[in-house]
Amino acid sequence: MEIQIWQIIALTILSAILIWDSISTAIFDAKPIFAGILAGIIMGDVATGLAVGATLQLMVLGVGTYGGSSVPDYITGAIIGTVFAVTSGQGIEFGIGLAVPVGLLMVNLDVLARFTNVYFAKRVEAAIERLDYAGINRNVWYGVIPWGLSRALPVFIMLIFGENIVNIIVNNMPEWLTGGLNVAGGLLPAVGIAILLRYLPVKKYISYLLIGFFAAAYLAIPMFGVAILGVAMAVIEFKQNIKDSQKVVVANAGVSQEGLLDGEYED
Amino acid sequence: MENMKTNETKLTKKDINSLSKRWIMSSQITWNYEKQMAVGYLWAMLPIIRKLYKDPEQQKEMLKTHIQFFNTTPHVGGFICGIDAATEEYEGYKAKETVKGLKTGLMGPFAGVGDTLFGVLFPTIFGSIAAYMGQEGNMIGAIIWLLVNISILIFRTFTAGIGYKEGSKIITSAKDKLDALTAAATLLGITVVGALIATVVRANVTATFTSGEISVNGQEILNQIMPGLVPAAVVGLIYWLLGRKKMSSTKAIVFVMVFSILLHVVGILG
Repeated sequence: MEIQIWQIIALTILSAILIWDSISTAIFDAKPIFAGILAGIIMGDVATGLAVGATLQLMVLGVGTYGGSSVPDYITGAIIGTVFAVTSGQGIEFGIGLAVPVGLLMVNLDVLARFTNVYFAKRVEAAIERLDYAGINRNVWYGVIPWGLSRALPVFIMLIFGENIVNIIVNNMPEWLTGGLNVAGGLLPAVGIAILLRYLPVKKYISYLLIGFFAAAYLAIPMFGVAILGVAMAVIEFKQNIKDSQKVVVANAGVSQEGLLDGEYED
Repeated sequence: MENMKTNETKLTKKDINSLSKRWIMSSQITWNYEKQMAVGYLWAMLPIIRKLYKDPEQQKEMLKTHIQFFNTTPHVGGFICGIDAATEEYEGYKAKETVKGLKTGLMGPFAGVGDTLFGVLFPTIFGSIAAYMGQEGNMIGAIIWLLVNISILIFRTFTAGIGYKEGSKIITSAKDKLDALTAAATLLGITVVGALIATVVRANVTATFTSGEISVNGQEILNQIMPGLVPAAVVGLIYWLLGRKKMSSTKAIVFVMVFSILLHVVGILG
């Protein structure tokens, strides 16, 4: 399938909108699953977009930007991956295999955008010296330009020139690579899970990790069912914690023992 | 709120509501390595500064105060804006030093709660469900997550109002409840992650073991030991790798891609 010019324009705009949303309203919150679905809608193949986005989503569970650290941009990766999975007819794994390197390359442009904004911040400071409110407003809003361009420009270029390159790759791709990408598509979600486990206090809640695993692996309960089980246990924990904290208020002296018995102290 | 309008240096409900919205829009647009979110914070506070300080020199000084380094979780920064606005309204220009301390003192604790809830737990719980259902070709999970994010956005439009009303005591008064909520959400997140290991990591073992005339499929043996054994082992391996020095999530992703190709070439996975 050939990509149409209106699709290139729509996808370029989409990439800018998604990054603007992620730094403000955050309803799509820079998550690849939404990027995949939206790119899929534009390409007329939502199923492929959803599948590419969902796999990338699992891969990046737990990857977040804290204190302005740049992380691989898998929203742009999901857009490019979805487009070329559809146009090349090579399927979802091919899209994911493409999305990963694209996401990794995009880190540099994210850094560049954040760096460019230092310039506008300086201009805001200069405007403060002049007490020039119009100048402050203007230079604050100029910030949207580096952010938008950092995504829109590479997406546009990749979509215009990428097709031929992708066709060459597809026609010359050996079996070990296609088969390997297929395996990688299945294993990559493990990365997201492992990163999450590094973030979460797993040692303290190891029983719940096992309960979740047991429910899915042995009882074959679907994810929504496991979530209900989790909510039930969470409510019990919440009530218990509230009760404990009230005890602290009521009887200051006796609590230290109580807490120790519960094994609540970690580290 | 009516009596507030009698004095023109008082802030109205409208000012505070607009403060929430301005913070949502601006917190990160001029995010940069030097000031991080400070420029956005300044822009959110602009109308309030112009309203509270009539003397141009005081305006300038307060603008300079607000452009100093600031960084917190965008979702909860509105609380700090609200607390700040209440302080400046009450104390006026005298508040300059107080405001500096207030902002730097509050951004850390708020980020601690905010990053955990909005950066880790919500995306874990709803992202897991959305991605799991998405892999099965079902979009419902993604739609639920989108609705949750829209609800969070609506909640954020109230944050400055809550901060303005409650002042800095919210961080202490709500602490017990927030801690309990964080613990409960963590527990839920971990349960879901446990189920994820068994369901979304796909590893199809193609190796077969031949002994004399008997040939046994590797996948079947492994399933008899434990369903989801290979996914659990892979997650365990990456978890261990991530704990090593100089290992980043990006390197782990590259490692898995290379590892997958190798395992495929030698015929263990397919």
